[in-house]
Amino acid sequence: MEVLRLQNLQKSFGSVRALKSASFTLNEGEVVALLGDNGAGKSTLIKAISGVFPVDRGDIYVRGQKVSIRSTRDAMDLGIETIHQDTSLAPDLSIARNLFLGREPVNLKWLGVFAPLDLAQLRDAASALLKRVGISKKLDADALVSTLSGGERQSIAISRAMQFAAKVIILDEPTNNLGVEETHGVLRFVKEVRDAGHSVLLITHNIHHVFQVADRIIVMRRGEIVAEQTVADTDLLTVESIITGADMSALLKETRAK
Amino acid sequence: MPRAKRRSSLIRSPQFSSLVILIVLLAVFAIADANFLSPLNISNMMAFLPELGIIALGMTLLLTAGEFDLSVGAVFGLAPVVVMLLVQNGGVDIGVALLAGLVLCIAIGAINGLIVTKIGISSFLVTLSMLLVVRGAALYITQGFPLKSWDQPGFFVTLLAGSFSIGTFRFYTSLWWFIGLSLLAVYVLRYAKLGNWISAIGSNRNAAVARGVPADAVKIWLFILTSVLAGLAGMISAFRISAASPVAGTGYELEVIAMVVVGGTALTGGRGTIFGTIVGALMLRSIRNGIVLIGVPGLAYNIFVGVIILAMLILHALLQKNAARS
Ligand SMILES: Nc1ncnc2c1ncn2[C@@H]1O[C@H](COP(=O)(O)OP(=O)(O)OP(=O)(O)O)[C@@H](O)[C@H]1O
Ligand SMILES: [Mg+2]
Repeated sequence: MEVLRLQNLQKSFGSVRALKSASFTLNEGEVVALLGDNGAGKSTLIKAISGVFPVDRGDIYVRGQKVSIRSTRDAMDLGIETIHQDTSLAPDLSIARNLFLGREPVNLKWLGVFAPLDLAQLRDAASALLKRVGISKKLDADALVSTLSGGERQSIAISRAMQFAAKVIILDEPTNNLGVEETHGVLRFVKEVRDAGHSVLLITHNIHHVFQVADRIIVMRRGEIVAEQTVADTDLLTVESIITGADMSALLKETRAK
Repeated sequence: MPRAKRRSSLIRSPQFSSLVILIVLLAVFAIADANFLSPLNISNMMAFLPELGIIALGMTLLLTAGEFDLSVGAVFGLAPVVVMLLVQNGGVDIGVALLAGLVLCIAIGAINGLIVTKIGISSFLVTLSMLLVVRGAALYITQGFPLKSWDQPGFFVTLLAGSFSIGTFRFYTSLWWFIGLSLLAVYVLRYAKLGNWISAIGSNRNAAVARGVPADAVKIWLFILTSVLAGLAGMISAFRISAASPVAGTGYELEVIAMVVVGGTALTGGRGTIFGTIVGALMLRSIRNGIVLIGVPGLAYNIFVGVIILAMLILHALLQKNAARS
């Protein structure tokens, strides 16, 4: 069943056409890898979906319904959680406060933005979450994010998406800067949420990871989607050649023929 | 967090070191001059404290969100001038005039906030320009002269600048305003959802926005709040001395920012402490008062004030470095 469909999304920054025209469909319980070289427009595409900025043209459908995503709050309310490449944590806040930023558990809800935080629930939920991601032994929910390593920060951002695991989880290069153990944690998490019926859009430069977790591959080049393949029908070399634009498999065949 | 660890992080916190320095300063002044702790002198200090302190509360929240406001001193001057002109020359009821003053402060804050967030000019430049506009307006509409003194007791005067005695101490109601607003500010910054947003915005605006925090709206409201508090402080001061002057509050913006950063709030946003600001306000107030008593020549005041502020900031920076290393 289709969860998210993009039709002809376009976005320019001044004269830079970061997104020329992008259309694709994401189905329920599917991991789609979004590949492409630096500057191909991957981050731009997912920022448009997650409401960081509006698109110039094009339509977005969630579960077949046309939606307008004008803000990050809109995207979150539609069940789209995103972990951005430029990590999305506030360093001066504690881990617990970061985990629930924008969705704070409160008492006396009628007080609106003046409602008091439910600090006990905040801390308990944060600890439980850290435990689930497998990093509880090292991290204290009250510690400031500014005291964490880059990899630890990434793990926090990922556990946050997990917490609110919505219909669609978008990960922009989640394994960047991560050690071996944390990388496995992330990939395990991706499989876990897929098995729970969620859909994942995974951006990465590591093709090996793609073959470990993805069901389908979408390749972008210079703001356009240039290829779409199921993982079962392709191989590493082919994908690499599509990304760079050089037809390496053809080249290989040629050399073999000689 | 284990208790010992929590205690050590409290001791290393900037507001704590400010508190220690404040106590040392108070002790030095008290020893140097017995009059420093006399009821009269304490009453005097407490009369001035709320006026800058109230503005400092708004400034703390604004700085924590990563912005600041240089126009507060000018608003402190303009608001009472406008209110008094309406009452004295326009024959307007004092309540209505105060309402007009409130609307004016809201407008000034909203303009500051809208230009900073929607057009994206730094708050330093926007509020510096606003300082000139507002101060200029106060001077122009009064032709540069202080207004006639106005001394008609009534509900609003009592509300803002009434006084009461506790034993031999004489306090103004403005102290209650300061205490009440301080408690509110502590609550908002530390315990409310809004405080979480304010700190997050100042710490990493993009991260906050990505979580659906309405960063621009929060900042605009904080600019409005700061302006309104500056106007309130101006009214309290004008009622207390029964007069309004177009040059009142000159230089207050820097004094207020000094109070806030001396208390440990980061000028770069993300880390704010109301408790520290109260300590900072007390510190600057008692320095200004104490150096008079111990006989520092009047023209040398600012040397002392400046040196003490600088020393405080160096201390905070060193503590910060230390904390980062451990
Ligand atoms: N805010 C912006 N203003 C101007 N140009 C931008 C902006 N964001 C992206 N671009 C440009 O749009 C193009 C696509 O950028 P994007 O970040 O989407 O690439 P990417 O595929 O995510 O690359 P990477 O793999 O390096 O993260 C680039 O040429 C980039 O310079
Ligand atoms: Mg990118």
